[in-house]
Amino acid sequence: MDHNSQGQGQGSRRQFHRGRRGADRRGQERRPQAQPRAQEQANRSDVDVEQIMRDIRSRIAQRHGIELSHQQIQDLAARRLESILDPRGVSPALLDQLRSAAGTTSPAPPRPADPPFTFEDTTLFESHRGAMRLARKLLHPILKLFFNPNPLIRALNIQARLNTEAAAREAERDRRQAEWNALHYALLQRVVSEISRVTLETQSLSLKVDSLSAKVDFNERRVRGIEGLQFQAGTSSGRREAPEPVRPTVAVVASPPSVTVETTSTPAPTTPTTQTAPLGPPADGTRRRRRRRRGRRGTGAPGEAMPGGADAASFDATDASDGDAGEPFEGGDEDESASGEAESRGAAVAETPAGRTEPAVKSEFDPIDR
Amino acid sequence: MKLAIVVQRYGADIGGGAELHARYIAERLARHADVRVLTTCARDYISWRNEFPAGDEQINGVAVERFPVVHERNLVDFDRQSTHVFRRQHSLQDEFEWLDSEGPVSPRLLTRVRRSRDEFDFLLFFSVRYHQAYHGARASAGRAVLVPTAEREPSMGLAIYPPLFRGVRAIMYNSYEERAMIQSLAGNDDVPGAVVGVGSDIPAHVSPERVREAFGLHHPYLVYVGRIDANKGCAELFDFFTQYATGARALDLVLIGTPVLPVPTHPRIRHLGYVSDQDKFDVIAAAEALVMPSYYESLSMVALEAWALGRPVLANGHCDVLKGQCLRSNGGLYYEDVREFTGAVDALLDNPALAAALGRNGRTYFDTHYTWPVIERTYLDMFEHLSSEPRHHANARDIEPIPGWLARRRRNVPAAADVVAGLPSGPVLA
Repeated sequence: MDHNSQGQGQGSRRQFHRGRRGADRRGQERRPQAQPRAQEQANRSDVDVEQIMRDIRSRIAQRHGIELSHQQIQDLAARRLESILDPRGVSPALLDQLRSAAGTTSPAPPRPADPPFTFEDTTLFESHRGAMRLARKLLHPILKLFFNPNPLIRALNIQARLNTEAAAREAERDRRQAEWNALHYALLQRVVSEISRVTLETQSLSLKVDSLSAKVDFNERRVRGIEGLQFQAGTSSGRREAPEPVRPTVAVVASPPSVTVETTSTPAPTTPTTQTAPLGPPADGTRRRRRRRRGRRGTGAPGEAMPGGADAASFDATDASDGDAGEPFEGGDEDESASGEAESRGAAVAETPAGRTEPAVKSEFDPIDR
Repeated sequence: MKLAIVVQRYGADIGGGAELHARYIAERLARHADVRVLTTCARDYISWRNEFPAGDEQINGVAVERFPVVHERNLVDFDRQSTHVFRRQHSLQDEFEWLDSEGPVSPRLLTRVRRSRDEFDFLLFFSVRYHQAYHGARASAGRAVLVPTAEREPSMGLAIYPPLFRGVRAIMYNSYEERAMIQSLAGNDDVPGAVVGVGSDIPAHVSPERVREAFGLHHPYLVYVGRIDANKGCAELFDFFTQYATGARALDLVLIGTPVLPVPTHPRIRHLGYVSDQDKFDVIAAAEALVMPSYYESLSMVALEAWALGRPVLANGHCDVLKGQCLRSNGGLYYEDVREFTGAVDALLDNPALAAALGRNGRTYFDTHYTWPVIERTYLDMFEHLSSEPRHHANARDIEPIPGWLARRRRNVPAAADVVAGLPSGPVLA
């Protein structure tokens, strides 16, 4: 009942996709968002138990994916079965017969239209009237003067016996056929159910694969972006002959799929990490690999590899790595990427060290383009 | 006003739901009317063995008359007959034999009811499924007020009951779900009825700290109060709880009541046995929530008690009555599988404000519907209404006669379980 109510207003398939594409794909750290809502709801005395149960169920669905109940899978399979057994191609009466046969373990043999007729030597002369029976009996010898009824009686007797046997055989064949039909129908039903179940699992797995590949793709792009940024910083510093009195502080705000670079003209009070950052071109393969690993882990010390705003980039990397497999930064999902971008921007602002002035120049670039 | 309360068992130490319900109602109505209880000598509802002496006695100021049961219940026969009438097409005679087999059969009690034509204004019959309520109500149809305490179980699909529901003077329902079920079963919308339930004697002061110390309840816990029986959903509760207990959260399950089902040996499951009322209320007050795993309830008194104490309830969502009460009161959560159980428990534990709000709502619900003044007033209003009914109107309503010898033996009555399965289900959000 509640599964049905959960699906009210949106078809089950649609809900399934929606669940996997929406909040379901958010990371563990975002799930407690439901908690403040419940908290807020609880503070009001008009708690709505139905709403709370819906929240609980949606959280269960997020955690475990949309798992259809056995009944729901059966319903789905029944619909598929209906489409397979197209009424234009199959007689509706046959379908009903199959269904009814599937519900009974041993269908009763069909009742014959007429009771089996037995023909004995006295049958021709029988009557329910006693007088008539007596008259026929008396006139029987006279009748025999005209013709011999015995072959006729024997033939009809044999025919009646054959009829009875044929009816029994027919009933037995019908019973067997009904059993086979029931078996076939049950098998077909189970096959379709299993196909439905497997299809759902396949859909779920393919979504997971999509999600994981999007994450891998994003990470690769981000690594290339960070490397490109460092290459650019190394080139520009290499061009500079002497330390300049005013050095731009670069805050990199990585947000999928783009990276925001905030440049301030104010001299940074201290940029110790900038001094140790590898500013030269990435000729050294070992360093490059180390940086790549740092970038993948996203847990490098702030500013270790990048001047200024590398801490912001590392925050984002942490954010990315903390999520569930395939959860954060869906490259292919516009809603998700938009919200992820907005959130990472907000986070970057929060992470900006105190004392840093407002950005005088703000530019965005996509590291992939470089 | 003179009232008789007819119930299968009665006693100060009898803790069954309908029996306790009857005793509470008798003691409360005794403040407004001359109440006399007519019951059997049985103490045990399974065997109906005569354990109390026959005759008159006073219990908490209420006069009680006891009558012997003529035969104990034969469980094998009862099981066989139950299977027959619940699962197979059968005859009315089969149903009467099933009712005899269920018991408690006390012809002297029925004779007493039959002869009390002018003695009582009204007779309240508790638990329609039992022999004394069915035949007693038939014997005094014009004055019979039924308190069915009916649950959504196969016996409610028997064909002998609808005429009774249509023919009594009034019906006092325990819940909206019970009323909906009976009305859809019997089409007795014209019979006067009220959803009333029962109150409870909630102590003015509870001491959660005392029981925590006394019973060593140092962890947060859920409490279950009642018979520990598979029929009450306890097996499922143990299963769900042991699955939940594999997590890191320290939560215990405390059980109060007589075990029919073996209590699993688990470090987080505590069985306190049978405790005093004060201890029971204190344990409930100290709990995170009261859990009610039963699939069939006509009214859960212990859930009402938990609400009266401001504690939330975690109920089995498969039980229409419990789910309906949770929804109407906004005082409890419900579950239908282990994941929902886990989710609901987590919601209550993670969010004390939510649990407190549910408890507050539950208390408001109890105060509005289940305090004794409300219950007493509902009963008295009903009696006043029935007394003011014109005599011809009261006489017009009579129980349909039992069919003749041949008709009773015609095997055309559908299986009771099928009848119940065909009834509309779900909570009533009135």
